[in-house]
Amino acid sequence: MNKEIIVRNNIKISGNGVQPMVFAHGFGCDQQMWRYITPSFEREYQIILFDHVGSGKSDQSAYDFEKYNSLNGYAEDLIEICDELDLQNVIFVGHSVSSIIGALASIKRPDLFEKLIMIGPSPCYINKEGYFGGFSSEDIDELVETLESNYLGWSSHITPVIVGNPEMPEYSEELRNSFCNMNPEIAKHFAKVTFLGDNREDLSQVLTPSLIIQCHPDIIAPVKVGEYVHKKMPESKYFLLSASGHCPHLTAPDQVISSIQNFLTTGH
Amino acid sequence: MNSQPFIEDAEDLYQNAPFGYLSMREDGLIVKINNTLLGWLGYAWNEIVLEKSFQDLLGVGGKIYFETHLMPLLQMQGEVSEINIELKTKGLTKLPTLVNAMRIPGRSGLQPVYRFSVLDITQRKLYELELKKAREKAEQSVQRLKQVNQELEEFAYTASHDLQAPLNTISGLISLLEQNGHFPAESQDSKYFTLIKGNAQRMKLMIKDLLEYSKIDGNEIEFAEVSLNEVCEYALDMMQDQVTKSKARFEIAALPVIRGDKIKLVRLFQNLFGNALKYQSKADPLVTIDFEDHGDEIIVFVKDNGIGFKMEYAEKIFGFMKRLHSHDRISGTGIGLSACRRILEIHGGTIGANSEPGKGSTFYFTLPKNPRN
Repeated sequence: MNKEIIVRNNIKISGNGVQPMVFAHGFGCDQQMWRYITPSFEREYQIILFDHVGSGKSDQSAYDFEKYNSLNGYAEDLIEICDELDLQNVIFVGHSVSSIIGALASIKRPDLFEKLIMIGPSPCYINKEGYFGGFSSEDIDELVETLESNYLGWSSHITPVIVGNPEMPEYSEELRNSFCNMNPEIAKHFAKVTFLGDNREDLSQVLTPSLIIQCHPDIIAPVKVGEYVHKKMPESKYFLLSASGHCPHLTAPDQVISSIQNFLTTGH
Repeated sequence: MNSQPFIEDAEDLYQNAPFGYLSMREDGLIVKINNTLLGWLGYAWNEIVLEKSFQDLLGVGGKIYFETHLMPLLQMQGEVSEINIELKTKGLTKLPTLVNAMRIPGRSGLQPVYRFSVLDITQRKLYELELKKAREKAEQSVQRLKQVNQELEEFAYTASHDLQAPLNTISGLISLLEQNGHFPAESQDSKYFTLIKGNAQRMKLMIKDLLEYSKIDGNEIEFAEVSLNEVCEYALDMMQDQVTKSKARFEIAALPVIRGDKIKLVRLFQNLFGNALKYQSKADPLVTIDFEDHGDEIIVFVKDNGIGFKMEYAEKIFGFMKRLHSHDRISGTGIGLSACRRILEIHGGTIGANSEPGKGSTFYFTLPKNPRN
């Protein structure tokens, strides 16, 4: 087994089953966000958890700004993980941006994936001609401005550092110890790639049976967007939870678990 | 005295504390808010409670941060502290705040609630900005000073180097004139000629010393293990003629090995030894070198039996081109000791002197055992 990939993506394997379920976290967090979901699948499935490069306890030095300048870089990593662990008939569960990463990987390597489960997916966050993404271009300008104006990057939302220096080792140590925290430069880049991207054209090419799990209201990926994804993906099912926000696997884990279980057993 | 216990009005404290307080439901809808926060935001109570969600008070960046970081953290850790987030007021101005939040789990059929305490950090943000600006300005100044310094070093080196060539020509021509016997002894012309010759010689010395001085910072610094005894030997080798001529004796104790730049340390000893010989008294020069170990650093003493000087000049002598004697009496440029001081600065050490006229001088300097390179 290639240790490099295991370390690069901080891969953790558990569970008693044979069929693999690969869980991919969204922007801003790491694999810990699956903690309320995975116990329900451990008995019947093999659970694969990982952190995207740049997030959580992944190898930060493997962050290549060119490679990760589009979601394809992350999709390549996902394929490498599956190949490296020799996974077959993968059930992929992705949150937010990772739903699209999973979709891109399944287009490239449909042989690897049996099912895709997308929680709060959005192929494009910006409103465009005839398309509602939830954010106006002014909103996105404001977001980019927020990212740029924070001299310590996105992380300045966390305790402001007055005359700090992100290069200072103590500071990076603090970042590493803090859950949901990323290197400011990487977080900024990841945010831009996520929120400025447009993968609408890719959706129709996804032929893997998929489940779209949607919340309402979700200001990051509104209902209209979930419905759009469902409409564009020929093999998809759509399930609206009675939960709000963008992280139902944290706020309404029971609903998420039962919708996944239902989809895996009945295909609906 | 009234013996009844004092009852604090907690509701008044909640409403008018110097903090903003807000409670929201799981779906974000605000269910309680205090007067302080309402005042900051410019809203009336009924415009907020059960009307707005916490996310409504955020800009786009804040909303995304809220959904992708803050809520997940609250769900997983139950609390967050010191989150720097900007709230939008009713007048659409931005209010920079520090937010602490806590998840209160649902009890007996009640929904869980999230309690936020909000601190207005408008003033602090201004300080931060001021500090950031001041820091940038200071960094720019340092950059500019570094550049000016480097340019000056280059200038000093080039100027002294380039002045050497024409001066060598002048010296050569003076020698030729002397050989040809153009100026009869005791004549007025001969006096002028002697003055010209002396000044040319003095200028040559000055240029040589200036060049040496400019090299101290110009050359790369290479720190390595250096034996100070070896350094002393090198220095003496290089001034052998002078030592023999002055009949000087050197008594050198067993000195330690330290980390330093060998070439610069040789120059340091050479300058100190040179001074001991130059400012000798009537007795033959005797120079003793010894040291004391002080843990992280050593102190080296270079003691001579020369003419000495008054202690009031103990600081002046290290000044650049500062001298206690006129050039006519004892030739020199006043560069040697300031070069010594610079070399020690590079090593993270200091230099000083103790002296008394007629009783010799002791130059002492400190050298850290492990200097920062």
